[in-house]
Amino acid sequence: MSEVPLLRVDGLRTWFPIKRGLLRRTVGHVRAVDGVDLTIREGQTLALVGESGCGKTTVGRSILRLEEAREGRILYRGTDLRTLEPKAMRPLRQKLQIVFQDPMASLNPRLRVHDILAEGLRSFGIGSPGSERTDRIAALLRRVQLDPAAMWRYAHEFSGGQRQRIGIARALAVDPELVICDESVSALDVSIQAQILNLLGDLQQEMGLAYLFITHDLSVVRYLADEVAVMYLGQIVENGPTARIFSDPAHPYTRGLLEAVPSVDPDRRRARAAVLGDVPSPADPPPGCRFHTRCPERMPRCDQEAPPLFEVERGESRCFLSGPR
Amino acid sequence: MTAAIEVEGLSVSFPGPDGRQRVLEDVGFRIAAGEVLALVGESGSGKSITALACMRLVPKPGRIDTGRVALEGRELLPLSVPEMRSVRGAGLSMIFQEPMTSLSPVVTVGDQVAEAILLHESVSKRAARERVVALFESVGIPDAAARTNAYPHQLSGGLKQRVMIAMALSTRPRVLIADEPTTALDVTIQAQILELMRDLQRETGTAILLITHDLGIVNELADRVAVMYAGKIVERAPRRALLSDPRHPYTQGLLRSIPALARPGERLEEIPGVVPAPDDWPAGCRFSTRCAIAFDRCRAEVPAERALGPDRSSACFALEPEAGS
Repeated sequence: MSEVPLLRVDGLRTWFPIKRGLLRRTVGHVRAVDGVDLTIREGQTLALVGESGCGKTTVGRSILRLEEAREGRILYRGTDLRTLEPKAMRPLRQKLQIVFQDPMASLNPRLRVHDILAEGLRSFGIGSPGSERTDRIAALLRRVQLDPAAMWRYAHEFSGGQRQRIGIARALAVDPELVICDESVSALDVSIQAQILNLLGDLQQEMGLAYLFITHDLSVVRYLADEVAVMYLGQIVENGPTARIFSDPAHPYTRGLLEAVPSVDPDRRRARAAVLGDVPSPADPPPGCRFHTRCPERMPRCDQEAPPLFEVERGESRCFLSGPR
Repeated sequence: MTAAIEVEGLSVSFPGPDGRQRVLEDVGFRIAAGEVLALVGESGSGKSITALACMRLVPKPGRIDTGRVALEGRELLPLSVPEMRSVRGAGLSMIFQEPMTSLSPVVTVGDQVAEAILLHESVSKRAARERVVALFESVGIPDAAARTNAYPHQLSGGLKQRVMIAMALSTRPRVLIADEPTTALDVTIQAQILELMRDLQRETGTAILLITHDLGIVNELADRVAVMYAGKIVERAPRRALLSDPRHPYTQGLLRSIPALARPGERLEEIPGVVPAPDDWPAGCRFSTRCAIAFDRCRAEVPAERALGPDRSSACFALEPEAGS
């Protein structure tokens, strides 16, 4: 494919220092993100999947430069965001927006919805102050299926699902191209979750949005993602088109994740604990393959050598079993 | 046969602006020894309050207005506070969603479980400690003897939940109430805990009241299911019947809004609106404001629970024989 993708992340590393003692000396690093590559095409959805502590949230925050990466390139339409001066970064910030998991924590409770949405418009100089902005805000609220009169109320007056709609409206206010959804539907009840997923789908169709959908919930992934990247301890262990990942997972961790999800099919009462034990600390990842301590298919070489990403049919897998035999 | 636990006509209220506000109304069920009943619902359905009411732990200023709770035939609501305390733990145990909030941070986990045993049984400290190690082994805590000396913060979420289960089982309860026991856990850890609960239940014959919002977990563990909406049970059925042939419009909506059952790209079926707060419960059927097939009678009269065949029932006018004719 020759077209320049909307976003390409290349060799991203974001480490957090561990400081100890009176002098707060750095004694080590939590390697939250440790060499991650991702590609997101225009109008498409990439799901970044993993369990807590795998670094998926840090990937999203690093792309937005809410965390400073130590290495790697973040190419937005070919421009490396990491090399940009703050001034040059500003117009691009408009194109990259985020919707968080907990809308209550991310919406200022002292502001009315109008002010929350006007903030972005003001800072990017969209529309003239006054009635033009108010009209825009009303249109935004209608777009996320809220009553425009909601703009005169405070965020805390709304239910979880409504607050998430406000969070989405805020992201949309500045006309983005890529929206990072960080566990955006995880805290919602299933009937409300369906409403928000439908809304995200509609908006993608109408506005041609691309999504980086960060989640631990595989059933949501299967439903909405075009491509999937599975993360474990700071690295991508498998990627590929959604249908292939679900029908023919290559990496033992992906298989373990899929088998662990409880099904609602009464004939398939089967969630298996194929992956045992706990996730090791990202401050001290295991040598060799990072997954070997929990892998049901571990081989003698797995604790010695770190497997690279091997090409598999439609995608890649970081497992020796996927490599040349 | 005497049920392990029998609940009848349970109603709970909290003070509101216009007198006491019911949050739970006329809830009843029985669970036989060795059986798992799942109480399913979204937030605000009253499922957690039901669990707390069974334990007589409804937080003040809430109170149980009417009803009875019997543990192996013994009425619990008339018991004195000290009598109830000895029932809690010995006959009736509970595990919570967030293990951290129910473990003391300053006492080792081994001492906390030993304390629970010593409170209910006259055994020596040493015998109690030995039993703790055996319990930790039975709930799959690796390195059990050493882990008894750990403080909660030194354990992962999965291990803490195993400690909670060990504590709940330490006094060999007849009934275990599990309130969202795996909701805070990652999916691979959740699968381990579900497997553990299934094994323990098979070995001990404990009756389980499982509180959950997740129909996948219902499928994994439950024998029978009761679906709650706005403080009432609206449908009950054996697991297979409920999942393959739900009858109440709310249960049908819940199942249809699950992304795992939808085809990628297709719109999810939504239940419009939100679960109403107790002071906003409509007259008539409480689901009528969100129900696609509600008719005039639904908005005026409260549907009673009616049998739909052996072992299943539902509270919906549309399911009554005269409806639609």
